[in-house]
Amino acid sequence: MDSGSRLPCDRAQLRSWMIDYITAVLAIPLETIDADATFDSYGFDSVEAVVMAGVMEEEFGVPVDPIQLFEHPTIADFSARYASEEAPAPVSPPAS
Amino acid sequence: MTDLEVSLVVVSYEIARELPRTLLSLAPPYQRNCPRGRCEIILVDNGSARPPEAAAFASLDVDLRVLHQENPTVSPVAAVNTGIAAARAPLVGVFIDGARLASPGLVAGALAAAALHPRPVVATMNYQLGPALHYEAASHGYDQAAEERLLADIGWPQDGTRLFDVSTPEFRAGEAGPILESNGLFLPRALWDELGGYDPAFTEPGGGVVNADALIRACALPGTQLIRLLGEGTFHQFHGGLSTSSPDKAIDVLKRGAIAYQRRRGMPLRTTRTPGWLFDARTNRRRSA
Repeated sequence: MDSGSRLPCDRAQLRSWMIDYITAVLAIPLETIDADATFDSYGFDSVEAVVMAGVMEEEFGVPVDPIQLFEHPTIADFSARYASEEAPAPVSPPAS
Repeated sequence: MTDLEVSLVVVSYEIARELPRTLLSLAPPYQRNCPRGRCEIILVDNGSARPPEAAAFASLDVDLRVLHQENPTVSPVAAVNTGIAAARAPLVGVFIDGARLASPGLVAGALAAAALHPRPVVATMNYQLGPALHYEAASHGYDQAAEERLLADIGWPQDGTRLFDVSTPEFRAGEAGPILESNGLFLPRALWDELGGYDPAFTEPGGGVVNADALIRACALPGTQLIRLLGEGTFHQFHGGLSTSSPDKAIDVLKRGAIAYQRRRGMPLRTTRTPGWLFDARTNRRRSA
């Protein structure tokens, strides 16, 4: 994933995936994760970020450059930058 | 006659500059409380173009065997397992990267730590010589010549404890924080057998993350106790290893290793976050995290 490409999921999916991954790796409760806090603020270090990039690559099937996690070091920032555009809202059927 | 208590398995590959210092640092009199007979070193060369010979180290006052790995590959796993199989002592320490110096109390400290529990997993702590981790060394003007000067400046090997003054720890969150691996991993012989040694599935160059895998699996064996050996350590010499030559290479090696691990184990690679027991070799006492 270069700086211009995105993962094949929307922002909410990516955010949710990252929160699930990090809470599982750190064995911490979901509510302790602040998506706007930097990874290192809750003990997720650079080694684990590189590993997450590899797992993310496997999961989503596109290359993920770990440097992007260092340059966008929060869940909110990374998912905003690298998720695909938000999925379009379902179109309501026309009233008949 | 002193009973053989510990075998040190050291793997080498194209480290002609670093290896003599490594072996000196593992032998008495540099190693304290480790008279001849208490410790043996098994050096397994993994295919160096000019493999080391025992005669070159005849001046060391230690029982040293030099083995040449048959059919060497890019992974050191088979060489590690050859060394473990050849080890004769009840405690076996594995140094998967033979480019690491030991501090002077490391071997005696590992023996003391291992005596604390019937199923100990003794992890020594990793450092790298110089002002920064070696993948960043170039940007700090650090190279092999700088390392020679550094060792001369501290008068190494006269006082090996000064290695701590001129090194950078690989662990960022303190001695009780997360560690990915231990270069200098000591397990009783029976535990190595139970573990099946290092996993030959790790065929990647350098073994990928096999060293981390060995620590994770050892800690997961029933009834084992992780014991971190503090106050001693191993110190990586700068030699352009796979994961230590540049930031990009270091990141790439780890990411590729993580992907291979995920495929192999079906779960993400994790750092070892439990502090376990902290044993301070300098005071011979357990310390709280």
